[in-house]
Amino acid sequence: MNAIPELSGRQPGAVHSAFAVLEEVARAGPGITAQQLSARLGLPRATAYRILNLLVQDEYLVRMPDLRGFALGRKVAELADVAQAQDAAATAREAVADLRGRIRGGVHLAVYRDDRVVPVDVDPDFPLSDPKRIQSDLSVSALGRLLLAEQAARAVPSPTRFTTQEGELVPGFGCLAVPVRGDDQRLVAGLALALPAARLADRDGLVSLVADTAVRLGPLLSRV
Amino acid sequence: MTAQPPVTALSRAIADPTPVDGLAARSPMAGLDRRSLGFVDVLAQSVGAVAPSAAAATCPVLVAARAGSGTLLAFLLAGVLMALVAYAVNQFTRRMAATGSLYTFAARGLGVRAGFATSAAMIVGYGFVAMFALLGAAYYGLTLLAHAVPAVPGSRGLVLLLLAGFGAVCLLVLWRGIRLSTRVTLVIELLSIVGILVLIVVLLVRVPGSSFAAVALPRSVGIPELAAGTTVAVTAFVGFESAATLGVESRRPFATIPRTIRWTVIAAGLLYLLSAYTQLAGFEALGGDLVASDSPVNDLAARAGVEWIGLLLDAALACSFLACALASTTALARVLFSLGREGIAPRALGRTHRRFRTPHVALAVGVAVEVAVPAVLVLAGMGAWQAMGVVVVCAAAGYMTAYALVCVATPFFLRRIGELTVGPAVAAAVAAAGLVAALALDLWLEVTGDRALAVLLLAGVAAVAFTLWAVCRRRRPDALRRIGLYDEPTMGDVLGGAP
Repeated sequence: MNAIPELSGRQPGAVHSAFAVLEEVARAGPGITAQQLSARLGLPRATAYRILNLLVQDEYLVRMPDLRGFALGRKVAELADVAQAQDAAATAREAVADLRGRIRGGVHLAVYRDDRVVPVDVDPDFPLSDPKRIQSDLSVSALGRLLLAEQAARAVPSPTRFTTQEGELVPGFGCLAVPVRGDDQRLVAGLALALPAARLADRDGLVSLVADTAVRLGPLLSRV
Repeated sequence: MTAQPPVTALSRAIADPTPVDGLAARSPMAGLDRRSLGFVDVLAQSVGAVAPSAAAATCPVLVAARAGSGTLLAFLLAGVLMALVAYAVNQFTRRMAATGSLYTFAARGLGVRAGFATSAAMIVGYGFVAMFALLGAAYYGLTLLAHAVPAVPGSRGLVLLLLAGFGAVCLLVLWRGIRLSTRVTLVIELLSIVGILVLIVVLLVRVPGSSFAAVALPRSVGIPELAAGTTVAVTAFVGFESAATLGVESRRPFATIPRTIRWTVIAAGLLYLLSAYTQLAGFEALGGDLVASDSPVNDLAARAGVEWIGLLLDAALACSFLACALASTTALARVLFSLGREGIAPRALGRTHRRFRTPHVALAVGVAVEVAVPAVLVLAGMGAWQAMGVVVVCAAAGYMTAYALVCVATPFFLRRIGELTVGPAVAAAVAAAGLVAALALDLWLEVTGDRALAVLLLAGVAAVAFTLWAVCRRRRPDALRRIGLYDEPTMGDVLGGAP
């Protein structure tokens, strides 16, 4: 019932009008009537009434007790949440891209959702060798091992500073992953470096290289 | 880069909402289980009140008795009329959530007097349909028993016992909470619809084909007869609007309730056309007279050699009538509750049960009357089937009056809030004219026919309503001014309403 109906060619215009209506109600303040709205926006009256009734159905708008005037519904605040989440995701992508510029190797970002590894930003120059196996078997990848270590730990945050794997997926190559923690110290994501096995020796050096980025990502990703 | 939509005022409003004045902290309808019912429960209310399977089985014969060869045409006219009414009613349900449903709408469009008249008409409609349903449940319950004990159907004592028993079941289920009753209703109704559809398919396959034209097209039908048939066919649809009485209790009412009302009318209409055609074609092919049959569906099943379906159907119909009684009582109680809240009816009716959050006083009063009136009819010497024929006329008159008043109110309401457009105005006008014409012709026919008692009952009810109106005007003018209360948005619903 709640599935979003398929958009037909004409409906994007309606979406635009819907935002214009919300915007106008916000500008005019509570109590603006349907007739005033259609006049101010230059919308045909029947169209304006239909859009208004749809917005009332979905509770983005509320009819005032006189039944003529409209006010913004509490649900409108959810639109702001969506906008904030999108901003956060964009900032997170920039942070990862910035890190890629400083490292000769692959940088991957994966979030943990329902105890699964979900890659959200895979390095375009170093694609994952076996994405299916990484998702099905947590013990083969550094990102998966991070999640296993968190699950095994009694305390949050777990004492795990990083995990590694060498040659499990591609002979001669390995990976080092550091945890990304949200505001409440929960594990929300993992940031992984994919490198030739030889360069994985200096672990502390690698961890300090990505630590800043992991800290920056925490609050951004816990909002998504 | 994508262009950013200019949402500056909107984002400002979200970040720092302007305070909204003029909203109460509590809805006038507080006490009910507000915003608790999902789409399925609301659908169940409308489907239950319509009782499509019971209507599909019993209405064609009642229509045929009046309209003869115009039976299918009468159903078609009734369907179109009801679709127009649904369109008009939905002009209100998309804009306000009201427990008083039609009478609140009429009051908002036409004022106090029309609101009061509509409330009386609704009480007649819901009340008499509930009586019809309780009688039907008793009648089919007895038919079912008769398969085991053939002497049973003549027993007046058993009819009374079943009436009281089913009434008690209704009260018990409804008292305990709305959600239980809607779920029970929907399951029962879906099962009996499946039963009806199975019979229809079996009949259409087994019965030798007769010409579609011979069955479907009217031949020499008078206009009053067609109107009477249409009126009875309308009773098969009535109740579809009763989802509106759950406006306060449903989640997302402005989306759910219009959708429920629209699809209930469409689906019921298709089922009735199919069922009526099958019954007409069945009797045409197997010989015999549809009109002379008390239980046409059973007769058809027996003649087609599938008596077991008849047995199954008796059980299903008894259940369907019970579901109809449940849903009609739900709606009746919500109307009484709303009148109680406004102070037009005794205040006690506006009370809600503290734990179950149901209008329990209104329910008890409603059920008591629903059992008492048919019991009196039966005690006066009527059979259950005969009594059903009488109360259904009253129910139809009540509903059609309420529908007509709401249709007249629609354009006035839309103009008052400044949202009048051509479509709804035309639809409402056509529907109102059709309803008034059909009802007037029907009542004229009934006065001269053998159901004059129904018209007498209606006249009595109308007299009572007029008296109450006069009393209210003198003693409770403030209450009358309050008519039309609905579930106004509260501070919690708007941005900037509550901290």
